[in-house]
Amino acid sequence: MTNENPDNQSRRKFLRDGFWVAVLSALAAAAAAVLAKGRKKKYVWQLDPAKCIACGNCATHCVLNESAVKCVHAYAMCGYCDLCTGYFVPEPKALDTAAENQLCPTGAIKRTFVEDPYFEYTIDERLCIGCGKCVKGCSAFGNGSLFLQVRHDRCLNCNECAIAVACPTQAFKRVDADNPYLLKGK
Amino acid sequence: MKERMGKFRSGLLIAFVLILAVAAGVIAFLLSDTSGTHVALGPEYTYDIKQYAEIDPALILYRQVGETIETDFENTHAIAVDAEGRIYVAGDERIAVYSADGNVIKQIELGAEPTCLAIDGNGGMIVGLSDTIEMLDAPGVETARWKAPMPNALLTSIATDKNNIFAADAVNKVIWRFDRKGNVIGKVGEKDEKRNIPGIVIPSPYFDITMAPDGLLRVVNPGRHLIEAYTVQGDREWFWGKASVGIEGFSGCCNPINFALLPDGGFVTCEKGLVRVKVYDADGHFVGVVAGPDQLGWVEPLRVCETPEQCSSKGFDVAADSDGRIYILDMVRKNVRIFEKE
Repeated sequence: MTNENPDNQSRRKFLRDGFWVAVLSALAAAAAAVLAKGRKKKYVWQLDPAKCIACGNCATHCVLNESAVKCVHAYAMCGYCDLCTGYFVPEPKALDTAAENQLCPTGAIKRTFVEDPYFEYTIDERLCIGCGKCVKGCSAFGNGSLFLQVRHDRCLNCNECAIAVACPTQAFKRVDADNPYLLKGK
Repeated sequence: MKERMGKFRSGLLIAFVLILAVAAGVIAFLLSDTSGTHVALGPEYTYDIKQYAEIDPALILYRQVGETIETDFENTHAIAVDAEGRIYVAGDERIAVYSADGNVIKQIELGAEPTCLAIDGNGGMIVGLSDTIEMLDAPGVETARWKAPMPNALLTSIATDKNNIFAADAVNKVIWRFDRKGNVIGKVGEKDEKRNIPGIVIPSPYFDITMAPDGLLRVVNPGRHLIEAYTVQGDREWFWGKASVGIEGFSGCCNPINFALLPDGGFVTCEKGLVRVKVYDADGHFVGVVAGPDQLGWVEPLRVCETPEQCSSKGFDVAADSDGRIYILDMVRKNVRIFEKE
């Protein structure tokens, strides 16, 4: 015959239930911590076009043999100029695609006729080395629609970016990897 | 003895390695460039138009008179001069009127940011407020106000004669012709092959117009590097101008950005990019330079992006009085300089 005290039984039950609640809570907390770690924000390097002065360091300081920085084009800002100062040398002999008239030393900008007198300019990223010569030409006279960006299909996302160290205007910064570009004209 | 020599040699080796490491660090520090001025790229990779920007001092025909008028504006958009030589500067939702010696005579509140300004023949003012035209009497009280016909209009210049008010719309690339009650009675400059009008090209929001005493509207066509003359009905009469970074031409993609008429029918032009204000005769022949970077207080001859602020800089606006004095508004420095022929 068992003659247990009902208070003892209740206390034991309380301790047993408490133990399981504590175990389950700890498991939930651990799972949440693992999930949170998995969702921790990642950051990548990017060039702030509002601070960039197209000094040319991007072309020479990247650890990659051909820089991860490329010229990009904000078409919404472009004037589609016939005499594009990002495409042509300052005093071109003619407004045509002859190499002597082109500003880009690697011929990375393509000029396409749209309608009189408008032309569209596109960047061939395979040829662009990120020297920023066209960026300076565009921003000197035009709307600044050509600008430099770190391309994340190339960037190694070094812990210490060699270009960021050399950047004279602190234009390099860490940005959310989910929004890795700082685009003009948005 | 041998043991002591060994310790001495290893100590020497460590000291040598340390000295080498320090020397390498110092050399690396000295060679590293964070100024952006000594870029390892060759000249073919750098943008340099300084050779084109230099102005022969013999071409400078004007000199500054009086002190530079420093305004208290954060943003300036337009300058005008009335028959009495008072200087009107528009910006910061107001118009400030200055005497020639720089004293503020009065301030007129507008309630919106002005984008352009013209002096009316009756002593009043006509102001463009992006897509709205506001007429003010001489004390600055609003007498009429109307919207441009297109909702996305950006009015960048206003010209007037006795019966008409013309407003240059940089977005729609057209000059609206209104009567004095604000009714649209015509358009000028719109592309029309039948009338042999090629159309206005405006890559950036600079589109200036002025009514000349001969009754023809003078219009800048910046994307074509031209100054054109139109009748009030919109017929294109003549044009002049050429694209060139040379001193006699209009540089870059789209210049001149602003201009004014001189009493002899000549033109004063302002360019963006290269810092230069120049004079042309009534037929468009280059006469000389009013001011270059030195005269306008710019250390660099170019407004190429040397700093981020310069990358987003605007240009100059210009006005001329009946004595041929030229008033230059520097929209970056927010100051006014007055120039007189030497």
